[in-house]
Amino acid sequence: MNYAVQSTETEAERALREHFDAIASELPGADDAAFAKLRSDAMARFAKLGLPHRRIEEWKYTDLKAAIKEAYPPAKDAAEPIDENDIYDVLGRGFDELLCYRIVVADGRLVPELSHIDGLGDRMEIRSLREAVADDDRRAWVVAELEGTLAPDNDPVVALNTALMSDGAVIRVAEGAEINRPIHVVFVTGATEPETVSLRNLIEVGVGARATILETYSTRRTPQVLRNSVTQVRVGAEARLAHIKLQNQAMPARDLATWMVRLHEGAQYRGFQFTIGSALSRNQIYLRFEEPGASAHLAGATMLWDEQHSDTTLYVDHAAPECTSRELFKYVLDDRARGVFQGKVSVKPGAQKTDGKQMAQGLLLGQFAEFDSKPELEIFADDVVCGHGSTSGQIDETQLFYLRARGLPEEVARAFLIQAFIGEALAEVENEEIREALRMMAAAWLSHSRA
Amino acid sequence: MLEIKNLHVKTAEDENEILRGVDLTIPEGEVHAIMGPNGSGKSTLAYVIAGKEDYEVTEGDILWKGESLLEMAPEERAAAGLFLAFQYPVEIPGVATMTFLRTAVNALRKARGGEELDVAGFMRLAREKADALNVSQEMLKRPLNVGFSGGEKKRMEILQMALLEPSLCILDETDSGLDIDALRIVAEGVNALRGPERTICVITHYQRLLNYIVPDRVHVLSKGRIVESGGKELALELEKSGYAAYQDEAA
Ligand SMILES: Nc1ncnc2c1ncn2[C@@H]1O[C@H](COP(=O)(O)OP(=O)(O)OP(=O)(O)O)[C@@H](O)[C@H]1O
Ligand SMILES: [Mg+2]
Repeated sequence: MNYAVQSTETEAERALREHFDAIASELPGADDAAFAKLRSDAMARFAKLGLPHRRIEEWKYTDLKAAIKEAYPPAKDAAEPIDENDIYDVLGRGFDELLCYRIVVADGRLVPELSHIDGLGDRMEIRSLREAVADDDRRAWVVAELEGTLAPDNDPVVALNTALMSDGAVIRVAEGAEINRPIHVVFVTGATEPETVSLRNLIEVGVGARATILETYSTRRTPQVLRNSVTQVRVGAEARLAHIKLQNQAMPARDLATWMVRLHEGAQYRGFQFTIGSALSRNQIYLRFEEPGASAHLAGATMLWDEQHSDTTLYVDHAAPECTSRELFKYVLDDRARGVFQGKVSVKPGAQKTDGKQMAQGLLLGQFAEFDSKPELEIFADDVVCGHGSTSGQIDETQLFYLRARGLPEEVARAFLIQAFIGEALAEVENEEIREALRMMAAAWLSHSRA
Repeated sequence: MLEIKNLHVKTAEDENEILRGVDLTIPEGEVHAIMGPNGSGKSTLAYVIAGKEDYEVTEGDILWKGESLLEMAPEERAAAGLFLAFQYPVEIPGVATMTFLRTAVNALRKARGGEELDVAGFMRLAREKADALNVSQEMLKRPLNVGFSGGEKKRMEILQMALLEPSLCILDETDSGLDIDALRIVAEGVNALRGPERTICVITHYQRLLNYIVPDRVHVLSKGRIVESGGKELALELEKSGYAAYQDEAA
């Protein structure tokens, strides 16, 4: 292939390029010229940029060039397919019984036998990206969505994803449709060998429609996975979407996840991310208010131990007036874990009556745990209300003593306070069943980390 | 019987002694009052009995039923029967009051070798005690002490005391911030607990409380020492003459 390669290319970066050359002809859309060009252009960008490193401001705390020493080969279909029992084991209490529409993607490919997407009628379309790309009536729409991403061209993670994406979920909720059950997209590893998995999801919620979409990223077989997923979301005028991501991949998995969210007039979006897994994870959220009167609530709960590292980086773009954004991100950090929060809120000229508030909080349990928080406001309009805050601290000894003086054993008292801390973020999840399932996971994390 | 013997206490960081040799004995079943000027060490004494880690005992001992409390964790002291009603009850956002109360009641029942209560049984008990203390159901639905008024916090302390069935109660200025009706309700709550197997120590600035909770003995703590002890009349005298005499003496 013909493009410029950065001079400091690492072995892993070269391997990723070579993977692309090896599998490009089998990837979805390979026989479509526009689609193939999209991929090769993206790979050319990645080749020039390389994996991001700490000298790039946005990646100051999360140096992928240093962390990714070895590029696992692209995901193949698992020798032994994932079955219902695997899914049951992966989901755990609360989620396995969730009444929902479900799509399962094992390694790099959707598994139709495990996906329950019947009886949707014309209210909703759920299919695999692979299938959508193969559909002559859909391909142009897919290409248009992929071309118009919110991430800047110099985001290497997204460029790598565009080049390598092998599958994902395409979910389109019809205008005015109210989907009452959550739509659960489950991503697992079924392969036993190390793999790089690249997924792209496209979500469109039609005008006035309502839906709840849950993405679960987990490992069933190999935990040696580099997962790079990009989810593009468009919420139509007056539509509502609750969007939740759960990531509980075993160590030493690495998770790179990018959400790109466009909100139209009066849309209401609630995004929530629960992170307890992976040795290293980076959650990027690009959110843009395209039209007036929309609101976005972004929240997250991250619970880490050992040497886990998790980074949440937000770009909230108030490009239209009278929009409201709220962010609340909480981190519980044990042992030598490191939590990173970078939140950039940008208010464009003319985006009057913008109302933006942001809060990030770290609770340090481990003596060597670290929380780095970097809020950033960039305001080019004068009639706005914006604020941000950040706290980092240990368990409040006064509160702990009060609980213990009432007879609660120290560990129970600590667990109460940690759950209270993280519970404030979990309260942002409106769906009761999902919220309770997440609470159970948080409680299980507590007993796990103490053991 | 609670026996405090020559208790010397300083803060972990500071060399200055806050308690400078406290001697105090409260026989089982009695109610004693401790009075004394601001900053004399009353709350410090209460905290040290309850096991707060900010303080260091450099000399002396605290015995409850003949056993030293000093090496016990706060929760072990609670299991041994101790209850401290805080001068400043702590707000704990995110902790549901009822969940906390049930966990505490059952932790203590278990530690004391009793039967744990099921949810329904606990709810019944909590309602009954809350009604008696005028603690509304709405308050019980809020996070622990969060947004409670000063008086509401004090009533919540007494509700906890009623539920946790302690044998040694220390009330640190539970009367401060209470209106007249609340004072009576709280005093009735304390008096209801009075009995041969309950030892009670009330720390207060106001003789008024002692009209409702009539003490067997009154002690004056000044500059980290008990400087005077007497019958309930002592409180009346203090009301008139203040602490000036003792402060000179202790200096
Ligand atoms: N944790 C601490 N660190 C430093 N100094 C302390 C600490 N706790 C108490 N002190 C000091 O010890 C002295 C006694 O305080 P304490 O709270 O016991 O007084 P008190 O008798 O309860 O007063 P009040 O009537 O105002 O409640 C005060 O001078 C106080 O500043
Ligand atoms: Mg005091």
